[in-house]
Amino acid sequence: MSGIDSVLVATVPPLGDKQAPPKRKEGGVLSKRRGALVTVIIALLALAWLFPLLWALINSFREYEYTQANGYLSFGGWTTSNYEQAWTQGNFGLHMKNSLLITVPAVVLTLWLSSMVAFVLARFSYRFNLALLGVFLAANLLPPQALLIPVFRMFREIPLPYFMSDSGSMLNSFWALILVNTAFQMGFCTFVLSNYMKTLPYEIYESAELDGASVWRQYWQLTMPLVRPALAALATLQVTWVYNEFFWATVLIQQGDKLPVTSALNNLRGQFFTDTNLVAAGSIIVALPVLVVFFALQKQFVSGLTLGSTKG
Amino acid sequence: MLCILVGFCLQEAFVSRTTSTAIPRSTVATMAATRRNVLRGIGLSGLAVGGASLLAACGGDSGPATGSGATVKFGINEAEGSGPAYDRLKAIAAAYGKESDTEVKLNAVDHNTFQESINTYLQGTPDDVFTWFAGFRMAQFAEAGLISDVSDQWPIDGLNDSFKQAATAPDGKQYFVPVSYYPWALFYRKSIFEKNGWAPPESNNDFMELMKDMQGKGITPIAFGDKDGWPAMGTFDILNMRLNGFDYHMSLMAGEEKWDSDEVKGVFETWRTLLPYHQADPLGRTWQEAATSMGKGESGMYLLGTFVVDAIADQADDIDFFTFPELDSAIGADALDAPIDGFCVASAGKNQEAGKAMAKWLGSAAAADAGNAGADAPFIAANEGASTSSYNDLQKKSAEVVGAAANIAQFMDRDTNADFANTVMIPSIQAFLKDPDDIDGVTASIQEQAASIFG
Repeated sequence: MSGIDSVLVATVPPLGDKQAPPKRKEGGVLSKRRGALVTVIIALLALAWLFPLLWALINSFREYEYTQANGYLSFGGWTTSNYEQAWTQGNFGLHMKNSLLITVPAVVLTLWLSSMVAFVLARFSYRFNLALLGVFLAANLLPPQALLIPVFRMFREIPLPYFMSDSGSMLNSFWALILVNTAFQMGFCTFVLSNYMKTLPYEIYESAELDGASVWRQYWQLTMPLVRPALAALATLQVTWVYNEFFWATVLIQQGDKLPVTSALNNLRGQFFTDTNLVAAGSIIVALPVLVVFFALQKQFVSGLTLGSTKG
Repeated sequence: MLCILVGFCLQEAFVSRTTSTAIPRSTVATMAATRRNVLRGIGLSGLAVGGASLLAACGGDSGPATGSGATVKFGINEAEGSGPAYDRLKAIAAAYGKESDTEVKLNAVDHNTFQESINTYLQGTPDDVFTWFAGFRMAQFAEAGLISDVSDQWPIDGLNDSFKQAATAPDGKQYFVPVSYYPWALFYRKSIFEKNGWAPPESNNDFMELMKDMQGKGITPIAFGDKDGWPAMGTFDILNMRLNGFDYHMSLMAGEEKWDSDEVKGVFETWRTLLPYHQADPLGRTWQEAATSMGKGESGMYLLGTFVVDAIADQADDIDFFTFPELDSAIGADALDAPIDGFCVASAGKNQEAGKAMAKWLGSAAAADAGNAGADAPFIAANEGASTSSYNDLQKKSAEVVGAAANIAQFMDRDTNADFANTVMIPSIQAFLKDPDDIDGVTASIQEQAASIFG
């Protein structure tokens, strides 16, 4: 992050400053020429990243018949009907609700549990502290695919009462997805939060202790308000990740009306025939909530993640 | 926290050890465990809510197994609102619910997701009855004990012997009830054939001449696209059936013949001589784009299933087809790919009795009629007694052609091991299309992989 910032700063030309700017040493890390080069490279990379997205966005507003007859390089056939059709045919209302029911509890649970672990790891020195952090990080490195069969079988064996799950087991229930997402996201959150908490001055805790604050109070009333920026940043990230999660939903949910919206995107594909423009429209709809969350909390996101990175 | 973690790890270690055993045995073992756990779950939840009466109200196991007031879960491989295929299945489910006074709970999952997660579906908490395909992929699940024997429901009125054959696993019992099918053939536009004075070829010579004439008029004879990998399987199937016969084709698919044999090489060699008549660079083209080129008249014919009209709906009335002509007079041209769709009963389904009763009804003429009455576009019913009044010309002809065929294959990805079809044949055929001269290399590599899959 900070690398990009300095690049941006370096490429902004000094505006009408009468005083001679401090002369940069020729051949420094970012001379003028290199800065320009970096800008060009970054612009190209940004274009390469954005192109497919913009392409999908453009074609989501075009009729399939038109693009099929004239090719995708043509211009015309504009329509908004893809969006209406995607919303109704994909039954997105229901699936958005499912996604909400999975994402919100999973994110809240992840942040709550990992902040408690991080608090202990950062504030108390037990012998197993480092090992415990290691375990959390190691679990984070495991690819979920490798755990597919164990988790699937484990969930099948865990009984749930019928009022919690129609299937009588963890399979086919939101509980399973909430738990699995929480488990897989906790490693990262614990790591970030514990590092952040370590930057809080120790003296605050000493005085809190002197004033008679219990450990719980130190956690809830002292630490939590102080790590709010980091929590906000993580919440943004987690909402994006859990909402976008596709793999576990397809494996653990076998009932069509319980799928979250990312998996339900497949509803727009036929057995043989796929209207790619319709799928593009559906993808844009599915991506919108993430974009909204991301842009709304962008400020928190950047400041939250960089605050812990420079220890001064 | 720590003890929970340790508990997780232990359980994972235990579970993963059980997964390493062969599928059938572990499946049977875990299925028994599932039933026990359901009972335990009921006990636990009884404690939680303080009474079993409340449970009976919301539990799925209550009520009679069949007949009035029973519940049967019906898993279908079409997403809600995905078109006629969903409408038909929904209408069928509703008709059965009405007729048998059973509550049919529909679970609609889109086709591709359903197919890709079929293994976890059947080993997890499947519905009682679900949509599936005839052929090897049905037989695989039968052997693994994942689907129930429905031989006590056969014979079913109006389903002839060839359908019974398609519903039979290698152990001689039926595990499947067919409902509909569609043929693979060479499709063309009637108006374009008329304008040029062309007629469907009767023999291989006619066929070659027709293609040469098309090329002379600047039309690519055969549209071709294999970006998704599976459409070219249809070409392999039909060439193999025409050159080596149906029986050879089926044993090749079952892994009983060698893929580097002269017979298989002969198929690829014939295919190579036909490639100049196909659209060039098929790997960059989807079947929809290939169909469009036929719809626009840039290509003359297209070897595909009847679903080809989905991509060129505007010309649907102008489309006709003929079966692939004979290549070897000793073999003839009486075999074709006509994949059969239908239903299976899941072994892990909770209501076996109701599932089987429903499966039997699903094969009836009444089921097919209810489905066709409930949708804009009909399917071609497997049951002889079903009404054909809603069929369009293409479907009437399909029913005729398939009825006249002596042997029916199910299409490569249904006739053989799914792993073999998807992970071996798709890349191998694509490699052949990229470099048609390296037939020895392609067949040797297929054989090597087939040996490791079929053992």
